[in-house]
Amino acid sequence: MAGVIERNNVHLRGEGNRAMIFAHGFGCDQNMWRFVAPAFEKEFTTVLFDHVGAGGSDLSAYERSKYSSLAGYADDVVEIGRELDLKDAVFVGHSVSSMIGVLAEQKSQGMFGKLVLIGPSARYIDDDGYVGGFSAKQIEELLQFLESNHMGWSTQMAPAIMGNPDRPELGEELTNSFCRTDPEIAKAFARVTFTSDNRKDLPGVGVPTLVLQCSEDIIASEQVGDYVNRNIPKSRMIVLQATGHCPNLSAPDEVVEAMRTFV
Amino acid sequence: MDVSRSDFQDLVENAPCGYITLQANGRVDQVNRTFLDWSGRSAEQMIGKRFSDFLTMPGRIYYETHIAPLLRMQGSFQEFAIDMLAADDTPLQMIANANERRDADGKLLLIRLALIKATDRRRYEQELLAARELAKAAEKAIEERLQRENQASELREQFIAVLGHDLRNPLASISAGARILDRTVQSEKERQIIAMMQTTVMRMSALIDDVLDFARGRLGGGISLDRNTSEPLERTLAQVVDELRLATPGRVIEAEFEIDRPVNCDRTRIGQLLSNLVGNALTHGSSNKPVVVYAETTATTFELWVSNAGDVIPPEAMDKLFEPFFRGKARASRQGLGLGLYIASQIAEAHKGKLTVTSTSEETRFTFSMPLQSV
Repeated sequence: MAGVIERNNVHLRGEGNRAMIFAHGFGCDQNMWRFVAPAFEKEFTTVLFDHVGAGGSDLSAYERSKYSSLAGYADDVVEIGRELDLKDAVFVGHSVSSMIGVLAEQKSQGMFGKLVLIGPSARYIDDDGYVGGFSAKQIEELLQFLESNHMGWSTQMAPAIMGNPDRPELGEELTNSFCRTDPEIAKAFARVTFTSDNRKDLPGVGVPTLVLQCSEDIIASEQVGDYVNRNIPKSRMIVLQATGHCPNLSAPDEVVEAMRTFV
Repeated sequence: MDVSRSDFQDLVENAPCGYITLQANGRVDQVNRTFLDWSGRSAEQMIGKRFSDFLTMPGRIYYETHIAPLLRMQGSFQEFAIDMLAADDTPLQMIANANERRDADGKLLLIRLALIKATDRRRYEQELLAARELAKAAEKAIEERLQRENQASELREQFIAVLGHDLRNPLASISAGARILDRTVQSEKERQIIAMMQTTVMRMSALIDDVLDFARGRLGGGISLDRNTSEPLERTLAQVVDELRLATPGRVIEAEFEIDRPVNCDRTRIGQLLSNLVGNALTHGSSNKPVVVYAETTATTFELWVSNAGDVIPPEAMDKLFEPFFRGKARASRQGLGLGLYIASQIAEAHKGKLTVTSTSEETRFTFSMPLQSV
């Protein structure tokens, strides 16, 4: 399919025969992986991309109906995989992209040989006998907050990112894209992220899977990660010392090390 | 004691903004007096706890998914909206700046946060946001309305075209057929039937004209005028009266014209106006009393009135006379579509004139007057 590379702002690096594709989560773009992906460039060809609506993706490709479910995002991942002729690749997904990977793996036999899921949650909202970490009301409040705060998103993000004398190595690319999202799209992505329920999709994952679970992650608690780990047939879990929801940024070395034991 | 140093410590503790330091694991390391006062907590209640514990739930998610990653990426952030919670669960709306302290190896040691209250600013932002939403909604509504209008106007054009062509053409065939038959028929009875057909065709044709005018006037851009001052108006008016006399034998139409100034008007339309008024008078007036037509020019106006004797128009009907499809109590067979007076009033309006009515036990009179200077 023509245009996929531009549409998803796909970047390839490294020289390995196998590919490792990195999918960012809600709130960021492929820059999320800048401390992790380079560590694999010797053994792998790394594939970085932005979901449509995020970072340097083609915003005009954003279709409300398509991206109102994670399946739409998973279709994009599969399209990228087809375009690059990926076989037996490693899919690395952060946060909501974990479930996008779970869906993509089942849509494309043989494209992905392994999944690495960082801070995954199959469902954020509590349900009968299931702990997701949030009540439906809290998620609704979040969505409202994002809605009421989206002026902040558009006006505060950009200046905060402009000019960064402390860490010039982050450069231009970051200046214009990281965390900068069209407010309408951000709202829609938040909704699909936090209201999805992918519990029934877990048992269908056919490939070896690694769950990387952070300590003290308020977005995806250990209980939530454990659920994912137990319900994917060939899964194992490593609990990281790293705290928070973005170990790929806060503790990249630990993440790389854990991934190496698996890939 | 070093006075300047203690002053500086005083500044940190009691600065007009909150200061918080976080350890690399996101737990509160130190917090200044100002922030403790704002939040209603003691230092013990905050130190060692996760910073995100003091945020609202949505604030936490926003912090974890946006603010914390950004801080790690670029070592600092500025002007972020952060919603915190005071000890009594009231919201503390803040604007925060932060930067990181790292050691020589780049290991994160500390995060420094400066917080200022932003309640008013946030309210202002909310208002701006609400205004923007409102503007967006209004814009959308206007766009939709415009689209509907466009569709409606397209339909209107089609409607008028259908009336104009599809209704008139069959009528023309009937008329032509009747004319041919008229040349060959022998008996008087047949001739009468054909004359009746011709009258009906004319009546039908007039009805179609009315409907077309209604469609143009009410639905389209209004009745357009083809003004002309050079031809005498009197001849047109007299012709209308003659036609109506012919069409209604047995009725008396008295006419008097005193037009001694040029009248800048559309002759055909004024003729139509007169025809409608006289038609109305013939329909609703007493059949044994004359219908009177009078027209004159004064220095500034042209006036044309038509009167008839008969029942007084009830007051409740007066307001509705000029509305389309209004029909009085005449016999059904003699009624039109109820558009005659409406179209007459539209013609008056197009001439910047007006059509008025008075009704007493002596007479009912419709008066059209228009300014002469009007161009």
